Parts: sequence; C-alpha cells; structure tokens
Amino acid sequence: MKIDRRTLLISSLGLLLSSEKGLAEDSVSFAKDHWACLVDTTLCIGCRKCEEACNRANKLMKPSIPFDDKSVFKKHRRPTENAFTVVNEFPGSPSIAQWDRKNTTVKIQCMHCLDPSCVSACIVGALRKSEEGPVIYNPTICIGCRYCMIACPFEILAYEYSNPLTPRVKKCQFCVNTNPEGKANPACAAACPTEAIVFGKRGELLELARNRIKQKKDQYINHIYGEYEVGGTSWLYLAGRDITELGFKRLQKEAPPRLTEEIQHSIFKYGAIPILFYGFLGALMAYTNRKNKKGE
Amino acid sequence: MEEKILKPIPQKIKFFTTGTFILLALVAVGFTFGLARFILGLGTVTNLNDQYPWGIWIAIDVACGVALAAGGFTTAALIEIFGSKQYKPLLRPAILTAWLGYAMVAFALVFDLGRWWNMWRPIFNWQGNSVLFEVGMCVMGYLTVLTIEIAPAILEGLKIKMKEGGLLQKILLPLEKPVYFLHNVVHAMLPFFILAGVVLSFMHQSSLGTLMLIAPTKINPLWFTPILPLLFLLSAIMVGYPMVIFESIIASKSFKKEIEINLLSKLARKIPYIMAIYFIFKFGDLILRFDQLDFLKHPSATISFLVEIIMGLLIPFFLLLFKRVRRTPGWLFFSCLLIIIGVALNRINVYLIGYHPSFAEKIYFPAIGEILVTVSIISLIMLLYRFFANYFPILSGLPEAEEEEEKRPYVLQPKWAWAFRGVAVFLLLLFVFAYSYVHKESIKESIKAYQLVYSYEMKGKEPPKIKARDHIMRPKGYQTIYYLSNSILNSKTDYYEPVRFSHRSHDNFLKGNCAVCHHRISFDESDRVGLSLEEFHRDMDIILGAPCSSCHKDMNEIVIEACDKCHRWPDEPDNPARIGLKGAYHRQCIGCHEKTSSEGFLPVDCVDCHRKNVPNHKDLVNISDNPSIKDVTEKCLQCHEEQGKEILNSVHFKWGGHSPQVSGFEHSIDLGLNTILNNYMIGTGPNLAYCASCHIGFGWIKQPLALNDPKQIDCLVCHDTTGKYKKDPYGGGFPDPQIDLKEIALSVGIPSRKNCGNCHFYSDGGPNVKHGDLSPGLISPDPDYDVHMGAFQMNCQDCHYTKNHKILGRSLSAPATEGALSCQRCHSSKPHQISGILGAHLDNHIKSIACQTCHIPYIAKEYPTRIFLDWSKAGLEDFKLPKEEKDLIYKYDKKLGFEIWKRNYVPLYKWYDGKRKVYRLGDKLANLERVVLNEIEGDRKNPNSRIYPFKLHRAKQPYDTKENNLVVPKLYNGFWNDFNWQKAIKEGMEYLGMPFSGSYGFVETEMYTSINHKVVPKKKSLGCTDCHSTEAVRCSRCHKRAAEIELPEHYRRVYPNLKFLNFEELGYEGDPAITGGRFYTVLGRGLPPQ
Repeated sequence: MKIDRRTLLISSLGLLLSSEKGLAEDSVSFAKDHWACLVDTTLCIGCRKCEEACNRANKLMKPSIPFDDKSVFKKHRRPTENAFTVVNEFPGSPSIAQWDRKNTTVKIQCMHCLDPSCVSACIVGALRKSEEGPVIYNPTICIGCRYCMIACPFEILAYEYSNPLTPRVKKCQFCVNTNPEGKANPACAAACPTEAIVFGKRGELLELARNRIKQKKDQYINHIYGEYEVGGTSWLYLAGRDITELGFKRLQKEAPPRLTEEIQHSIFKYGAIPILFYGFLGALMAYTNRKNKKGE
Repeated sequence: MEEKILKPIPQKIKFFTTGTFILLALVAVGFTFGLARFILGLGTVTNLNDQYPWGIWIAIDVACGVALAAGGFTTAALIEIFGSKQYKPLLRPAILTAWLGYAMVAFALVFDLGRWWNMWRPIFNWQGNSVLFEVGMCVMGYLTVLTIEIAPAILEGLKIKMKEGGLLQKILLPLEKPVYFLHNVVHAMLPFFILAGVVLSFMHQSSLGTLMLIAPTKINPLWFTPILPLLFLLSAIMVGYPMVIFESIIASKSFKKEIEINLLSKLARKIPYIMAIYFIFKFGDLILRFDQLDFLKHPSATISFLVEIIMGLLIPFFLLLFKRVRRTPGWLFFSCLLIIIGVALNRINVYLIGYHPSFAEKIYFPAIGEILVTVSIISLIMLLYRFFANYFPILSGLPEAEEEEEKRPYVLQPKWAWAFRGVAVFLLLLFVFAYSYVHKESIKESIKAYQLVYSYEMKGKEPPKIKARDHIMRPKGYQTIYYLSNSILNSKTDYYEPVRFSHRSHDNFLKGNCAVCHHRISFDESDRVGLSLEEFHRDMDIILGAPCSSCHKDMNEIVIEACDKCHRWPDEPDNPARIGLKGAYHRQCIGCHEKTSSEGFLPVDCVDCHRKNVPNHKDLVNISDNPSIKDVTEKCLQCHEEQGKEILNSVHFKWGGHSPQVSGFEHSIDLGLNTILNNYMIGTGPNLAYCASCHIGFGWIKQPLALNDPKQIDCLVCHDTTGKYKKDPYGGGFPDPQIDLKEIALSVGIPSRKNCGNCHFYSDGGPNVKHGDLSPGLISPDPDYDVHMGAFQMNCQDCHYTKNHKILGRSLSAPATEGALSCQRCHSSKPHQISGILGAHLDNHIKSIACQTCHIPYIAKEYPTRIFLDWSKAGLEDFKLPKEEKDLIYKYDKKLGFEIWKRNYVPLYKWYDGKRKVYRLGDKLANLERVVLNEIEGDRKNPNSRIYPFKLHRAKQPYDTKENNLVVPKLYNGFWNDFNWQKAIKEGMEYLGMPFSGSYGFVETEMYTSINHKVVPKKKSLGCTDCHSTEAVRCSRCHKRAAEIELPEHYRRVYPNLKFLNFEELGYEGDPAITGGRFYTVLGRGLPPQ
C-alpha cells in the first residue's frame, strides 16, 4: 500500500549504491593499478609542449598566442574549453638544488581523483570514473547543469558557454580516446621533453616519487601532492617547495563526496527514513481525522 | 460561524490593469533575453564563467524558488495532517503558489541548463550518488504531487465554466465526463499525495543544502556545515507560513478583499516557535564551529551574513513576539517580508555570495540578461497567480449562488479506485526496474562515445642520411655530425625532426671531456644501470675533469656507452623510474645549454635544435579547386595570422630595412632594392614586373606593392615541397597560371635548399650570373662540392638561422639585413680542432683570415659565373665575339650586350671589416675612372678586418652625362622591345620621378659579391703552401727540436695550378709567415690587439 513511486525509487537507489561502495573506503590502496601520471615540477622547463600536444590530441581550437610564446606566463591561467592543460609560471626556483633557476613552472589539468567529486555530483552519470582510472565525460547524456564544476575541488572543469545548443563540459580525458588501452603515454606525457610527466600505474609512480624524495633531499620536499588530497588523485605532483605556492590548494584528506554521499545514503538508504516518516505522518493524519470527525 | 460560509470562488475582477501590463512588459523583455540565450548561448547573456558556473538563475530562480514554495507543504501538513481545518481558506492559495513556484523552477532551469533538451535524462540515467539527482527527482515528483493537489481547484473551475455558458461552455462540454471522473479519482487519492508531498519536500528541501556540501573548499565557513541540510529544511519550514501570510495579504490587496487578519495572526503565532528551533540549530552550529569562522577574509560575505542573521532572523523574530505586530496587517506583512528576505538571502549566500572559487579573476555579478530573465520569471508567477485566482476557485469568498448540489455524477466505485492504484503501483515497479537497467547500460555506452580515435598524421619525413665520417682515435660511434634519432623515439612522438648533433663541436666545446654526457659505464651487456664514471675513476684516485684523451690516447680502446644503452624508450612498462631516451637527452642538454647560453651560441629554444615537423595540411585545410594565389594566401592567413605580420616586416618582403653594415647608413631603415642600383640588371623601379618574379609577394606589375597587406604575401614560393611551384618571370610576382596551386598549397613544408635557390641561385637572370658561390648545383651536391650541404645535408636555414621569419645573413648587393652570421657560431673560435702546434698555427689564422678564404678555394665550378657585361653593345644585330681564352667564355646577347663568363673563378682577396659603401639612386659620380657600387671597407691596420674572398663583376652601364649619375632604363617592355636607349632611360627615370637630361653615355662600374658558400672538405681546402712558400712553413725554422717531425699532409699544395693570396697586394711586406703578422714583426710576440 505505502509503496509509491518515491519509495521504490529510493530503495532501488540504495541497491545501486551498495555495489559501488568499495571505491570510497580505501582510496589509496584501491587504486594501485589505476592509470596515473607523476609530474615533477622540478624538471618542468615551461616549454608548453604539453599544452600543444594536448591541443592537437584533442583537436581543440588553436589559441591566438602560439605555443612557443612564453608571454602567456604573465598571467596565471586556468584550463579552458580549448586548453585542457595549462602551464603556469611562479617566481622562485623550483628547489634549493636548482637555486639558479628563476622560475618554477607547473602544469595543471584534471587530476582524475580516485573519488571524484564531479562524478559523485553528476546528476545523470555523464561523468564517470572508469575502471582504469580516467574520469571521462559522456556528452550525450549530459544535461548541462554544471554541478560538476561547482563540485570540482581543483576548479579544473571548463564549459562551452558560447555554444548555444550543445555545450559540453571540457576537461582532460586522460587521452582515453586516442589511447583506450592505456598502453601508450597520454599526449602531454609523450610530448614532455624532459619527462617531467611520467605515465604509469599509480602504485608504481608513488613508489617512484618516494624514491626520488629519498634520493634527492635538496630537490624535493617530502610531500606527494595527490597521494592523499581529496581521497587521492591519479595525477601526482612532486615539488621542491611548498606546492600551495604553485597554484594548488591545501586540501583535506577526505574526499568531498564522502560527506554528501554519507548524508544522502544514511538518510535515504533503502528509503527507510522517508518510508517511516511517511508512515508516521499517515498515522498522525488518520488520528487527527478521526479526532476531528469525533469532534464534529 | 462566519468562516463556514466562505468557499473558494473565482474572483472575477478585471484581469488587465496597469500592474498586469507592467508585468507583461517585464515578461516580454525578460523573454527577449531568454531567447537570446537560446540563440547565442549562455556566455553571451550571462556573466557565468568556468569559475562561477552557477549564477542567479540557480541561486534565485531555483534555490530561492524552492525554498519560498515551502508554504505549500507546510500549510498542507498543518491542515490535513495536524487537522487544523480552520486554516483551510489558506490552503489553495498556498498550494497554487507552490505549484507555480515549482513549475517556474523547472521553467527557469530550461534557461540555465546547457543542454536543456536533455532535461528528461535524469529519469532514465540514474545517478544515486548525486545530491542533485535526489533533488531533481524529488522536485519532479513533488511537482507531480502539487499538480494533483491543485487539480481539484482547476477541475472545479472547469465545472463552473461548464455551467456558465458562453463559448467556453461549448468547448468544454464534451469534456464533462472525464473532468468529473478525474475529479473523483483525484479526490479519492488526495490524502496519499498530500503525505507524499510533505515527505518529498522534507527530502529535497534538505538536499538543496547537501548540494553545496560537495564544495567544502569554496563555500564560506560561515555557511559550510555538515548540518546545512537540516538548516535548509528548518529554514524552509520557517519561511512557509510567512510566505502564506505575505501572499495572502498581497492577494487581498490585489483582489480588493478584506485581509483575513484573524486567521493570519493565528498562523503568525506559530512562526516564532519554528524560528526558535531554527535559531537553536543555527547558532549552536555557529558556536561549535566558531574557531573555523573567518570574518575578515571575505568582508562582503560577512556583511551579507550579518544582514541575513539580524535583518532576516532576529528582527522578525522579536517583532512577531508582539501581539500588536501580529494583529496589524502592515507590521505582520513587514515581519513576514523580513523572514522571506532572510531565507532568500540565506540561499543566495550559500549558492553565490559565500561561494568563493580560488582562481576567479573577478567576483561574479549577474549580467543584465540574467537579472531580466529572473525578473520576468517572478513576474510570470505573479501573472499566473492572478490568472488562476481570478478564474478558478482559489481564494475564498462568498459564493454567488449558494447551491449545495454536491451530487457527484460518475462516482468511482471504491474497488475500482483500488484497482487503479494497483495498476499504478505495478507500472511504477516496472519503471523502476526498467530504468535501472537503462542506467547501467548508459554507463557502458559512455566509454564507447570516446572510442573515436583522432589521428593527426605528421608528414613523416625520414631524416636525410648522413654519411658517417669516422675519426681516428675516436670510438666507432663518434661521428662528425649525425642525427640523434631513434626509431622508437620517433614512433612515439612528435612535432619535431630529430636533432642534428655534432659530436665534434660538442667535443670541442666541452674540451674533450666525454664524461659530461657519458656519465655511466657498464661492463655487462644486460646491465642497464652501470657504474657512475666519476665513482669508477675515483676508485683509481683519478678525478675527472680533463679531456679523456689526455689519458686514453686511443678512445677506441675504452667502452663509451651510447645513451640508448640504458635509456631506451620513454615509458618502460617494467620500470617507470628509468628516464627514457628523450628525457635523458633533454635533461642532459638543457642544463648546459641554459647555463652557458650567454657565453656563445648555445641554442635553448626547441626550434633552435629541432626542426619543426609540418603537419599534413591535407587534413587541416579545406581549399576549393583551382584556387587563385590570393585564395591560397588568405587560407594560410586564417591560421597563420601572426606569421603574416612577421613577413610584412621582413627584409624578404620589404626588400629593404635596417642597414647596419652600410657605412653612413648604419641607422637607416630606408635603404632597399628600390633606392639603389646594381650593374647586373641595373635597377628595379621600372622593371618591377620582371624583378618581382623573385619577390615573396605578388601583384608588383605596374607600381610598388602596398607593403602592409598580408594578402599579397606569396607563401608558396618558400613553402612549396612539391617543386612544382613556378613564378611567371614577367608576371610581377604572380605564379605561372598553368600550375595547380591546390596540390602545392596542401603539401606545404619547411623550405628546402631548392626553395631558397629558386631565387638565390638564379639572381639577375640565370644560374651563377651574380653569385659564383650559389648555383643550382647546391640542390644535391657532392661532399666535395659543398661539405655542409653535400656531406651533412644541411639546409640553408641551418646556418641562416631563422626565427619569426627573420633570416640571418647579409648580402653585398642588398643593403638591408636581419642579422649577421659567422662560421664561429658552430665551429667556435678555435675551429681547427687539431691538437698541438699545427692546430695553434691554423687557429691563429682566423684572426686575420676569414674561414671562407681557405675553405672556398674557387667558385663557379660547374656553371661559369659572369664577370663582365657591356650594356653599350646591347641591341646590335651583329657582334663579333673575341677569341676564347682558357676558362673564359664570351657571349653575346642582344638584350644584354657583350658578356664575359669565367669558370673556376679564383676569388679576389680583400681586407673587409664587415662594412661597405653603397651607391644610391641619384648619387653623383665623383670619379668616372673607377665607379664602385658597393665598395668594400677594410684595412690591414684595422684589427676588425680580415681577408675575405670576393667576386668582382664589372659592367659598362648607362649614365646621364650631364646630371652625372647612373640611370635606370626601362628594360622589360622598353629597351628589350625597341633597343632605344634614349627612350628606355627616359621612361625609366620618369617612372622613378628623377631628372634625365637626355644625353647618356656608358661608364664602367664594379660590384663585389661575397663568397660564403661551396665550402669544400678540409682535404680540398687550401694547403699551407698554396699561399706560403715551402720554406716559410717548415716547422724546424722556429721549433728547433721539431726537425724530425713530419709535416702533415696539409703542407702540400692542393691546387698547384692556381694562385691564391698575394701578400704584397694585401699590404704585407712579404710572406707574413716570415715577415710577421700585421701588428707585429717579431715571432712569438703574443696576440694582436683586440
């Protein structure tokens, strides 16, 4: 009797959710085999080849300022609909070991979080964390609500605001389109002349990063950005200085969806609380009705 | 009781008043902007950007809209669940407000959603983790519930219309049966839906708070709290009754009814209690989190917070505690308005004002379009409210005809009602399972959408083969020049050609220390890690730093590991920690190049070492069939706009520019081919149609080109790779009309030697006419012909270093230059790289002798070069050629006159300090005996001067005997037609706007051409005794102990039949090897002054 559309909907949601729980619980060890990239900011020379490679691989619009023009560094840029990755320059040497270098350059792109906020936020599942690790976007079912952009803790996502009918959310897709098996480097890593971007399995790259930190104490600080930030990311950053000076935010260890999903699933799990609440209200209604009738 | 009589009735007042017209106008204006959003996109109408993806369309239209529609469920709960039937007159207006509110939320979303036509997707694509999904589904569900809740009012309205007669009755009468039927069904089911409505509202009102919890870093801690959903729910409940009161008072005013103050003040008494509950949670939360709050970081947010708390919460709370306030319509209205504003501000604060993206360039403020669309939506709600209240029984009033005829035709049997419900439940179940299946499939589909593989085909150019040149005492892999190329590396990437790497010059610059790059050594084939070379030597108490060859006499004996022994490919599946070959090369190179780039020419830019791979333009460019050259250029400029600007400023396009090497005009930018003349084809001016066939523009037929129009650049003449592009020799720079430009345009690439040679090998009318050292033989030469281009396959731009279309190099005939280049740039200031005494002697030469002098022994090898031209003999029908001498060729051309050509031209040697004079148009001839058009400057006593080789071209050319200056005749379409000098000169000078006295004569002029190309291999360059006497270069003459040393090969004459430097002519007393250099007379006397 009390099973209406809403309760059914909610209980089936609960079933759907319970199967996806594994990802959330132990995000760091969970993703050992995920595709990942390690960016070593001390090796980056700011050549912008990654930007160029990304632009070509994704067939994006050519920017008005050519890729070999470093005047773009005057401003700190963010990824846009036509640039999934951008390199920014920050004053100061990348590390003590490289004291003679004037600037540190850092590339930013979608971090491909292990527990992505955008994926949790997406109303239709247009954004999805694939089994291999990349967070990919399916425009066909996207409704364009841009909640993913609100959710992204790295503020990476860009939107085609100028497209009136079929705007898309634009972000790095980890080159899954050109490299569906993950056997080759993503375009930016392949283009990086100094191999400041290393592509591999996340577990191995974490080990590699730890080794580098151990070996070169004057070149790295003991922090792998992305190891634990927002539940861990597939893109990891090594730096020789405080990475929050390099355009990154200090982020909590817990992934933001843990809070929202916990609230959602604890209140609405199997629709239990709404059904109980419905029952309670129904009983109250029946009681007051009877009382009113009696009163009359 | 009085209230019992009151019933919801249609108000039936005049609908159109000034107010409604204003509202209609607002709706119209807003919808115009809304329409613009659908045509032009969100970006045009809104101020949204990547940092602020949500603006007021979400914060006000959706978040506030949903919150303020809370009156519906709170009133419904009060009346139907808690049984306070006395408030029944307020139910229908509240439900109507909520219904309109939610409908408008959905409507407003159409504007805001990027892909609004996909709005139905959440029904099929479920994403249970998404808070927004929960909100969306609940809002959809609640909108359905509200429709059912408002349905009785609508259906009753229809029933009334059916009774009233008129046109409407006729239309509606056929619907009588279904309307009554539906009314009964709805009536039967209503309680279930009222319950569902309350539950759904609780769910999504709270979820709207959860929504923003996903952005903990962006939401101001003043609002960010895990109990935000609870606060949202409580504040929604709190705003419910004030909203009902507010709307009731406005409706009463609007419909000129009496305000139901008794009812409203009773309702208002409940508000402070609800507010108190909200209070406790709100302040409790703030106090618990007090240390997290930062009031100073975002002052505007703090102010907004204070306004929300004080004005929207505290003031109305205290006001509503007073009975007088509750009983006075004005005060009651004001207090309720404050609460409404407070809650609305709370939503706006959470969604907008307290939303602080870290990387936003500026704070979001709504655009005019956003504001107007929002205003129009609010206006539309008011209009619709007025419409429904006017024509449907919403607001209570005294019914006109009190007829209690509640007969209820078409009553539904109870068992049928249950059957209907059962079917509905079954369908719902079916939907649930079907949709969950669709949902799972859709996720699988999503990866397929990305299987489109984009391929970007590079013009796969194999690097030209360079013949290995082994060096004695050097390991096998050591070659003079080779490509740092690796097939694996090339297959993985990239946009660049491999680097042409000169082992020898790096060896030279690094002073023989191989360990700088070859830093590790391994003794086992399979060992890819090896030992550090430094540590390996340290174990033997040797500290590295000196040339390896100082200990290892024969480097062949030791193993030097090639880079790719350890570093093989970029991503090694077994070990991502190992640096790949590309990274190894770059990390090894970039450090040194950056650190020492100030000391000399060490390339640091990517294109300094690599050559860019040109993408296959067939994939990139869409060009019509049979394009004109202008179409091609326009097509090029579409992408290469910057490059067009670069060309406009280039010497190659302007034919003039800065001339720092012309003495007297060092700072001039006016000198160019149009202001000077030469003694080959004399001058451009009137002959542009002919001369422009060597210009990188087109359209230069009658008058000088507009030199600021990039559309007149001829891109193809340099970038053609097919070899088919040809300029019309008399076409003013236009191409031959026969050729297919499309094919050429689609296969553009980096200029080759042939592209440059198309003009430079044929300057002044034919191969080798002007330059003896630039001839078509350089397109594919033997190593002996030219070592750079023959043995090492170097392109022109490898030496004539090019950046931004500015090309290094200088010419003696064209005054403008874009920078000078020198051999030392690659070969260093100690270029000979022969150790010991001989090396020192040879390296000493370059202080006084240019490299070209010894290394280009003679020119005009396969084609002769012209050394004399007599214009005065032109136009004759019959000319008798003199008898030919050895290497000299005599020719007669009616158009040009008598010519002398020479094969195997041994250059003229002169002191040259890099400067020269220039003869400009109109300059008076000072001395008719010797007229030099580009006199070389330089002097033996000038330390900057060195001995350079030159080619001398003499000509007898026309001049104005009275004005005493050289003249430019019109040759093409002039002299060459009728062979009339008088007329040709007159026309030519007229064209230039210069005086011509009418009398002309012929004067002999000289012009020098520099010799820089056709550098021969070292064995073919001059030997010591080609210039010096055998006695002068005997080692033992000075080095007493060197008596037994065998003189090197180089000692012999290489060209016994040719004569080279004449020391006396150059100002020396005798052979400088004996008499001493130009600045000293005693041997062993140190270095010349710098």
